[in-house]
Amino acid sequence: MTQDAMIDEWYPVGLVSRLDGNGRKTALMGEPIEVASDTDGSARVTSKGRVLPVRVRYGHVWASLGQPQKELFAIPEADQPGRRFVDVGVVRVRCSPLRAVENFLDIAHFPFVHTDILGSEPHTEVQNYKVEIREDADEVWATQVKFYQPQAARSASGGITTEYMYRVPAPTCSVLYKTCPPRPGEWDVITLFVQPLAEDLCDVWPWMALFDDESSMTDLIHFQQTIFLQDRSILENQIPRLLPLDPGMEIPTRADLTSVAYRRWLKRRGYTYGAQLVAQ
Amino acid sequence: MLSDPTGSWTPVVLSADLPPGTVVPARTPAGPIALWRSASGRPSASADRCPHRGMRLSHGFVRGETLSCIYHGWSYGQAGNCLRIPAHPGLAPPETIRVATHPVEEVGGVLWVGVGEPATQPPQLAGLVPLRSLQARAGVAAIEAAAGAKADADGLLETTQGSQKIHLLLACQERDETLIHVLLEGEGSVAERVAASRAVEALRRKAEALEMERDAP
Repeated sequence: MTQDAMIDEWYPVGLVSRLDGNGRKTALMGEPIEVASDTDGSARVTSKGRVLPVRVRYGHVWASLGQPQKELFAIPEADQPGRRFVDVGVVRVRCSPLRAVENFLDIAHFPFVHTDILGSEPHTEVQNYKVEIREDADEVWATQVKFYQPQAARSASGGITTEYMYRVPAPTCSVLYKTCPPRPGEWDVITLFVQPLAEDLCDVWPWMALFDDESSMTDLIHFQQTIFLQDRSILENQIPRLLPLDPGMEIPTRADLTSVAYRRWLKRRGYTYGAQLVAQ
Repeated sequence: MLSDPTGSWTPVVLSADLPPGTVVPARTPAGPIALWRSASGRPSASADRCPHRGMRLSHGFVRGETLSCIYHGWSYGQAGNCLRIPAHPGLAPPETIRVATHPVEEVGGVLWVGVGEPATQPPQLAGLVPLRSLQARAGVAAIEAAAGAKADADGLLETTQGSQKIHLLLACQERDETLIHVLLEGEGSVAERVAASRAVEALRRKAEALEMERDAP
């Protein structure tokens, strides 16, 4: 197994709401792990008898196989009153965990993959936006991302130009801030938490913190699951399965600047589990 | 299959199974390809990978005379050059963005894809009418054994099943997998076509059983 900087990161390993005493067997970076609730109700994650560092946050249980140098990243909106928190569940995808994150950072595919929901022809143009690697926070950020969407959210009643901000606070996690149709001035928060099972297999745990008092929980979950199942049909058919970090294998354009920054950041930090380093 | 020193032809799909405006995945000795037919009827073969993000082009869609990737809609012409990047409608894609292409010939109701630069043309298959294709988890040797006949240099094998003469055009896929195109001598009646189709399915079962026996320790 590749020993790289990703070993010391936090990863989602299950829903807090589904914790039970019997435990659930899963995997993390190729290692078998078990996620259970302890006798006192707290989360307990073990790997071959070894107790792993654990956090319980954002609807999920988080664990690390290594020794995390940093606390789990903050999402201040998770403590904001008035938001609804949605555990979307899990989607297993046969792809690199890094490819799953990169796809989440991409808007140019909306008209073709999420047709008539997150995008539609002829509204395909991606306007210039800003991308930076914030060295202080050690995060990738994309801001001023705008895109025309026929139905931006479950709560949207017609086409709007949606504004997005993307944040990558950990190698397999992304937080999306998105125009909130019922509450201008606030941002809906949609996250993608990815559990790397292996270099080419992952469990994707989307989670949301929304201002939406209208939609039923079922509808909110269905909306997001529809989107992720559409993404899965792409992610399982990309060649190679691993994310190429060296240039030459794939061709980015201006619309792909978030992906370019993400790949550069991964390479610089030595986050290479699920990456392909030499063009083949 | 049908090799000459400079290249070879592989029969990848029946003409009838690739109507205008569609794309299908196919395999050749040179790797996976996206085989598509434009609205005007021209068949083309390109590498099955969009150079933008590596998505399989065989999952894409055909509009007019172009093949588009399903991921971001990048579209390619018959010569493999990128014609449009929807995220940047005002940009003329540089010549360097292209997919590798292969020669395609349509002969006798079969689409042949060339690997390398074959000096010859695909065989004419005169008098034969394609019926259907099917995939077998068996190598050519097992199919020959099941059919009781040998394939010729073109990959063509003649067998008699019941009272019917059936021709099988074989294309090796990955190891121990063969694509079988079934051809009949003339159109035949519906009953004859159904009987031939069932006979070849039975032949496939036999060949797959032989293949499994061979693999057994």
